[in-house]
Amino acid sequence: MDNETVTNNTSTPHQPITLESRLRRTITATWQHISWRKVGLFIISLFLFLLSLTLMKKGAQGLAPLLNGRFAITNPANGIGFGWLFAYIIMSGSPVAAAGLTFFDAGLINQLESFAMITGSRLGASFIVIIIGFIYVLRGRDRATSLSIGLLSLTVSTTIHIGTFIIGIVLLQTNILQSIPTPDGLFVNAIVDLIFEPIAAFLLTFIPLWGLFLVGLGIILVSFNLFDKCLPQMALKESQLGYVSRLVYRPLVMFILGALLTLISMSVSVSLSILVPLSQRGFVRRENVIPYIMGANVTTFIDTLLAAVLLNNQAAVTIVLAQMVGVTLVSLAVMVTIFHRYEHALLAFNSWITSSNRNLAFFMVIIIALPIILLVIKR
Amino acid sequence: MHLLVTTGGSAHSTIAVQFSSELAKITASSVTVLTVIKHAHDQARAEEILAAAVSVLQTAVSPPHTKIRIGHPAEEIVREAEEGSCDLIILGEHAEHSLLTRLFGPVSQQVVDHSTRPVLIAKKTAVPIRHLLLCDSGVRTPSLLNRVKNKLPHLLAAADTVTVLHVMSQMSAMPGVPGKQLRATADELIADHTPEGELLERDVHILEQMDVQPQPLVRHGLVVDEIVAEASRGNYDLVVIGAHRHENMPSFLLDDLAQQIIRQIDRAVLIVQ
Repeated sequence: MDNETVTNNTSTPHQPITLESRLRRTITATWQHISWRKVGLFIISLFLFLLSLTLMKKGAQGLAPLLNGRFAITNPANGIGFGWLFAYIIMSGSPVAAAGLTFFDAGLINQLESFAMITGSRLGASFIVIIIGFIYVLRGRDRATSLSIGLLSLTVSTTIHIGTFIIGIVLLQTNILQSIPTPDGLFVNAIVDLIFEPIAAFLLTFIPLWGLFLVGLGIILVSFNLFDKCLPQMALKESQLGYVSRLVYRPLVMFILGALLTLISMSVSVSLSILVPLSQRGFVRRENVIPYIMGANVTTFIDTLLAAVLLNNQAAVTIVLAQMVGVTLVSLAVMVTIFHRYEHALLAFNSWITSSNRNLAFFMVIIIALPIILLVIKR
Repeated sequence: MHLLVTTGGSAHSTIAVQFSSELAKITASSVTVLTVIKHAHDQARAEEILAAAVSVLQTAVSPPHTKIRIGHPAEEIVREAEEGSCDLIILGEHAEHSLLTRLFGPVSQQVVDHSTRPVLIAKKTAVPIRHLLLCDSGVRTPSLLNRVKNKLPHLLAAADTVTVLHVMSQMSAMPGVPGKQLRATADELIADHTPEGELLERDVHILEQMDVQPQPLVRHGLVVDEIVAEASRGNYDLVVIGAHRHENMPSFLLDDLAQQIIRQIDRAVLIVQ
């Protein structure tokens, strides 16, 4: 019996790959890779973000009696305490930062107090990771493993923001940042007013003015949640980076990486989770993580900057820029001068906290009491 | 084995010469003594320096070769090592560095950065090499132990004990990560067949085959801190570390901890590329 070999004769003769055909192929491949569900989610989250800002901006005026009375913010310390506690309550920092801007836009707090409230929001944002870790500890897991990343995130943010606060005050008092050209939100604002003002007016027929702020706050939380869902799946896989992933990076490189990945993900916790696949066991290197958190702390303000632009308030934009410039300057100064001492001090402090239940309890009491004390300080 | 020892006549250079004498004794190596001068008119001084070094070496080895080179110290040391096909470069290091030296790096650092051959930096006192601390990161293939075995087999065979240290600087990246391995001892990691455990197990196996007593060890913390702490604690005669040579983008991205370890450690360090 003869063996028959089947050959494929359908192949076309070799043709040179032109720039046009390469471009067409790239566009087709990109088109096929677009997840339309995620695009839809992004549009919805953007719509909700804009709606929430409109509602919070309008509703903030209704909060005047509350903010001038029970929670009177009369100095920057109050601003920090208020932002910090507010972030604890809603378990997120970005909505609080946006709220700080809307309060400022509505004239309820001044520029410095708004800056302080945004600082407080960043300090409170780390709390969610600590709370999750604390739940694991209560369920019998090891203290150091469960709490290390949350504690490090909080201690890095706190120490950097102490310096940032001083720089921020100088930047705001001297109006240096006023000269930086910022995007004009007027056109966007006109469209926003056209679409969202009727919705706000409609809601006001059912709820009081202050209630509008709460509805806006709820919507902004949903919008950030949806935004997280529409992000492309980002993971730095060990196999893709080869041996590089296992080596110790330069602090400056990790700082830039942290800033870039947070710029894309708009969230410190999301960008930290991008690092996790580097080790299938969920480990990150101590040497890498501190500069990474520092970098993430700079670009985590990108959504707050967007909110400031959409409020079409130049002074609000300046507040956010002061935060970003301050965090960058302090982080770079630490990395260039005292990085190793700083790293040792933070790691030693964190291991002291997790060394006993008594130390951990003491620390938890402090981080809950501190914002309350800051909130009630009166000049 | 062929050793290249460099001397400038200073106290730290003398330690390097004494170290090479000790090493030549146990490994039956030949030795070349090199001194580098900046100008030809320093020749007489160079000959004096070499004569002093030879007098230290004479009791230990067959008459050493001597060499004088003119030029930049680090460049000439690297060139001589290549041209002379040396297996190991031995040099001393100042305890204190001037601001200028800190800025541009001491000669030892420049040699480590540019040489493809193993470099031994002698410090404090010259002692017979019996107890080795080998710091294996497991990052590169072949492993550090295999590189030492291939490049300096006599050195390894002459040791009584070799402690293989792996530093786990990892921490949990998020709540909920099982952290048992972040506290485990070397024996526990070997028993659990973790990547670190397998690295240590492989190294132990190689050393056992060479009739050297192995001692696997894991420490948890910052890499440089833990290596320096273990080196001070364990009374080792020589600390062996790896180093990475990168150019362009990788050299910008990757931090080489070797220089930090060399600076901070108070005893002889062998760097194997």
